[in-house]
Amino acid sequence: MIKKEGSFKYLEIKNISKNFGETFVLKNIHLDVFKGEFLCLLGPSGCGKTTLLRIISGLERQTNGDIVQDGLLISNSPTEKRDFGIVFQSYALFPNLNAKQNIAYGLENKKINKKEIEKRTNNLLRLVGLEKYSDQFPSQLSGGQQQRVALARAMALSPGLLLLDEPLSALDAQVRSKLRNEIKLIQKKLNLTTIMVTHDQTEALSMADRVVVMERGHIAQIGTPFELYENPITPFVADFIGKMNLLKGKYDKKNCVFYYLNNRFLISQNTEYSFLENCLLGIRPEDIEIIKFRKNIEKEENILRVKIKEITYLGTIFRLTVVLESKLEENIFVDVISNQVISNNLKIGDFIDIKLKKEKIKLFESNL
Amino acid sequence: MYFKKNFNKSFNILLLRILIIFVFILVSFFIIIPLLPLFLKSFSDNKNNFIGLENFINYIQNPSLTQSFINSLKVAITTTFFSVLIGFIYAYALTRTRLPLKKFFNTFSLFSLYIPPLAVAIGLIYIFGKQGLITQGFFGTIPGFDINLYGFNGIIIGEIFYCFPQALIILVSALNLSDQRLYEAAESLKASPLRKFLTITLPNIKYGLMNSFFICFILSFTDFGVPKVVGGNFNVLATDIYKQVVGQQNFAMGATISIYLLVPSILAFLIDKNFQKNEASLISGKSIPFKPRKNLIVDSIMFIFCSLILILVIGVFSSIVLASLIKIWPYDISLSLQNFRFSNVAGNGYEPYFNTVFMSIYTAIFGTIFVFFTAYLVEKFKPLKKIRMLIYFFSTLPIAIPGLVLGLSYILFFNKPSFSVPFLDFQIFNPFSLLYGTMGILVLANIIHFFTVCFISATTTLKQIDKEFEEVSESLKVPFYKTFLRITIPLSLPTILEIGSYYFVNSMITVSAIIFLYPAKIPVSSVSIVNMDDAGDTASAAAMSTLIVLTSLFVRLIYEFTSRNVSKKSSVWINPLET
Repeated sequence: MIKKEGSFKYLEIKNISKNFGETFVLKNIHLDVFKGEFLCLLGPSGCGKTTLLRIISGLERQTNGDIVQDGLLISNSPTEKRDFGIVFQSYALFPNLNAKQNIAYGLENKKINKKEIEKRTNNLLRLVGLEKYSDQFPSQLSGGQQQRVALARAMALSPGLLLLDEPLSALDAQVRSKLRNEIKLIQKKLNLTTIMVTHDQTEALSMADRVVVMERGHIAQIGTPFELYENPITPFVADFIGKMNLLKGKYDKKNCVFYYLNNRFLISQNTEYSFLENCLLGIRPEDIEIIKFRKNIEKEENILRVKIKEITYLGTIFRLTVVLESKLEENIFVDVISNQVISNNLKIGDFIDIKLKKEKIKLFESNL
Repeated sequence: MYFKKNFNKSFNILLLRILIIFVFILVSFFIIIPLLPLFLKSFSDNKNNFIGLENFINYIQNPSLTQSFINSLKVAITTTFFSVLIGFIYAYALTRTRLPLKKFFNTFSLFSLYIPPLAVAIGLIYIFGKQGLITQGFFGTIPGFDINLYGFNGIIIGEIFYCFPQALIILVSALNLSDQRLYEAAESLKASPLRKFLTITLPNIKYGLMNSFFICFILSFTDFGVPKVVGGNFNVLATDIYKQVVGQQNFAMGATISIYLLVPSILAFLIDKNFQKNEASLISGKSIPFKPRKNLIVDSIMFIFCSLILILVIGVFSSIVLASLIKIWPYDISLSLQNFRFSNVAGNGYEPYFNTVFMSIYTAIFGTIFVFFTAYLVEKFKPLKKIRMLIYFFSTLPIAIPGLVLGLSYILFFNKPSFSVPFLDFQIFNPFSLLYGTMGILVLANIIHFFTVCFISATTTLKQIDKEFEEVSESLKVPFYKTFLRITIPLSLPTILEIGSYYFVNSMITVSAIIFLYPAKIPVSSVSIVNMDDAGDTASAAAMSTLIVLTSLFVRLIYEFTSRNVSKKSSVWINPLET
C-alpha cells in the first residue's frame, strides 16, 4: 500500500462485513483512505461496492466491523451525525426547489445568517459553473447541470468526505467525460477526500488516485490505475481492467515454458510464479503482434498460426478475433493499428502468424 | 485507542420511533380494538352474561334470519357479476376503442359516485315504483310497465348503480396499462382478435378484474341504503342488523348478525390480498400506450351501450330532482320548492344538512392529515419494520369492514367510560369515550370507514417520490420533518387534494357507518333521508338527496378548479425541459 507523502489515514475501514440473512454482501473488508485522496470502488453490479459506500455513510448498517473517520470511531453513529456529503446516481434533487434552494437546503437548517448562506451558495454555484442557472428548477436543467447542482449541494456543508454513487452513469458520453475532469479539478482544488462508486473502468482509471477492484463482496485488488493495468494479480482484475486473453495450459517452472495445446511459450523469469502445472496465461490484445506469414514458424519464439474469424473496426485500431485451427471455439483478441490491416489487406478467413510479446505475458493461478 | 464520540443516539430516530408507535396505537384503537367488544357481545346475552355460541345457534335455527344471509349472498353475487360486466364493457369502450364523445362519456360515467345509494333507491321509486314514471307510462300518457321494483329486482338495480362506477375506476386504470408493442407482435404472428384478447388483454388486467370483483362483492353484500328503501319484504343482513339494533334494541343479536356479515367480507378481502400479492408489473417503463384503431361496428355498439348506461344514470338523477320539485307526485305535478322546507314529521329543517356539511369538512381535513401522515411513516422510513407492516395491514382492513359493523362496534367500544381488566378488580379509564355523543365520533367513523382507499392512494404517491430525498436530507443534517413539510407535501399536493375531496363526498353520502352513532342532538341528512322515507315523506327525502348530490358536485368542482391551479403552478417542476 502506498502512502502519499504528507497525507494521513483519513478513513479506516476495518473488517467490515454485511450479510442479509444467509447471503454475504461484503466479507471482511479492510481499506484505508488517505486525506485528499480520490478513491474509486470499481466492480460489476452485485459486487457490494454500493453497499460499502452506504455503510460508510450510515445509510446502511454493517453486520460486523468498524469505521474510523478522522480519528473518531463512527461505526454506530447515525447518518445525520456523520461528516460527509453524497451524490446519488439519480441526483435526488428536490424538484420543487430551484438550483439555489437545493444547494442552500442544508445550510438553511444551520444557525447561519441569511447573508452568509447567500454568499456560500453563490460561491458553490460559481464553483460548479452554474451562476446563470440559480433560479432554474431541476426539470429545466440538463442532466449535466443537474449533476453539478447535486455536487454543489453535497459540498455545501463543507464535509470532510465526499461520496459519489455512480454519479455520471445517467449522462451521455460527451457530458460524462467533461464532468469527469471538472469533478477531479474541484476535488483536487479543495483537497477533498472522495470515494466514488462506479462500474465503468474508464471512469475509474481516469479519475481515481487509487482504485479498489471488488468482486463478489471482497476486494480483489487495490492499486493505482497504472498498477492495476500493468500488474493485475488475478485473472478477474486483468479482464475487468482493460481486456486480457486468458489461455489455460501447463507451466514448466524449471524451463520457464508454458504449454498451450501443442504450442510452447517462453516466459520471463519471475520468482512470483510459485504455482505449478495448471495455470492461465494472460496477454493483452495490444501486446500481440502480427508478423509476416512465414514458412518455418517453429524456429521462432512465441508464435502462433491463427485464422481470422472476425474483424471489428474501433477507430484507430482494429480488433481481430482469431482462432487456432485446433481449437476453434477459443477466441483470441488481437489489437492492430488500422493501417496495418489495410496495407496487409487482411480478410476474414485469412491465416496469419501472431507473436505474444514475451515480457508482457502474465501467469495466473487457475481456479477454473 | 480512538475517541469515541458519544453521539450514537439520534433525536430524530427516537422521534420517528415514537411517532410510528403513536400511529400504531391510534390505528389499533380505531380499527382493530373496537371489533373486540363486538365479538364479545356476539357471545353474550343483552345483560352481558357469557352464553357461548347460543346467539349463533339461535340465528341458524331462525329460518327468516338465515334466509337473509342467503338473500345477501344472492344480491352480492348477482350485483358483482353485472357490475363488473358493465364496468368492463364501459371501461373497454373508454380505453380500447374509438368511442365518439369519449371525454363526455368519461366525465359522466362517474356521476353516480356522487349520488348516495339511498338517493338512487329513491330515484328508482320515482321511475319504477307503484306511481313511477315507467310503471304508470309517464303519468298515463303511454302504456305502463311494472318491473316489480320492491324486493330483489330493485335491490339489484340500485346496487349495480352503486357498484358499477367502482368497478369502472379500477378497470379503466388496469386497461390503461397496455403495451401497443405486444399487440403489434401478436399481429405480426397472425393472431386472431379473440386470441389477442385472451392472451394479452385478459392476463394484463387480471389483478384489476379480481380487485373489482372483490370491491363490488363487499359493497353490495354489506350495503344498507338500497335494501332499506326498495327492499320491501326481501330481507338482507344489513337491514336485519338495523332492525335488531334500532327496532328491538337487541345489541347481542345485532352483534351476532354483524359477525355473519363481517366473515364473508374478510374472507373476500383475504382472497383478494393473497391474489394481489403475486402482482408483478407486466408492463415495462418502456411500453408504448395502446392506440385503438377505428372499427365502425365495435365503435357504434359501444356508443349505444355507453349511451344506454348514461341515460339510466342521468334518468335516475333527474327523477330525484324532479320528484323534489313536484308538489304532490303524481296528483299535483306543478313545480314548487315546498319539499325543501323539511318541516314535516322527520324534518328538523336544515340542521341535518348543515351538520352533514360540517361533518364532511372535518372528515376531509382530519382524515386527510391522518391518512397521509400514516402512509408517510409506513412508506418512507426504515425503523420498526414489523410495526410498520402491521400499520399497513390494519390500514388496508377497513375496506372489508361493513359500515354498519363499524358503527355498531364503535358504539360498543366508545360508550364504555372504562374497561375492566379480566381477573383483576381494576378499571382503566377509556379516553376515547369522551368522543361518544359528539360530532367527533361521526368524523372518526367516517375517517376509518373510507380509510383504505385513501391510504392506498397516498402510499402509491409516496412510492413515486424518490426515496433518496430522505437520505439526502439526512446527509445534509436536515431533520425528516422539515423535508416532509418542504418537499414531500408540496410534491404530493394533487393527491392530498384528491383524498380530501374523496373524504368529503363519501361523508356526505354515507349512511351505514353513522346511523347507529349519530347523537340525537346532532341529526345528519342521510339518516333523515331514511327517516323521511320511513315516514312516507319520499318527496322531502328526494329533496334532501338533491341537496346532497349538488353539494358533492359543487365540492368536486372546487376540487377540479384547485387541482388545475396546483398543477399549473407545479408544471414547471414536473414537465421536463423540451430539448
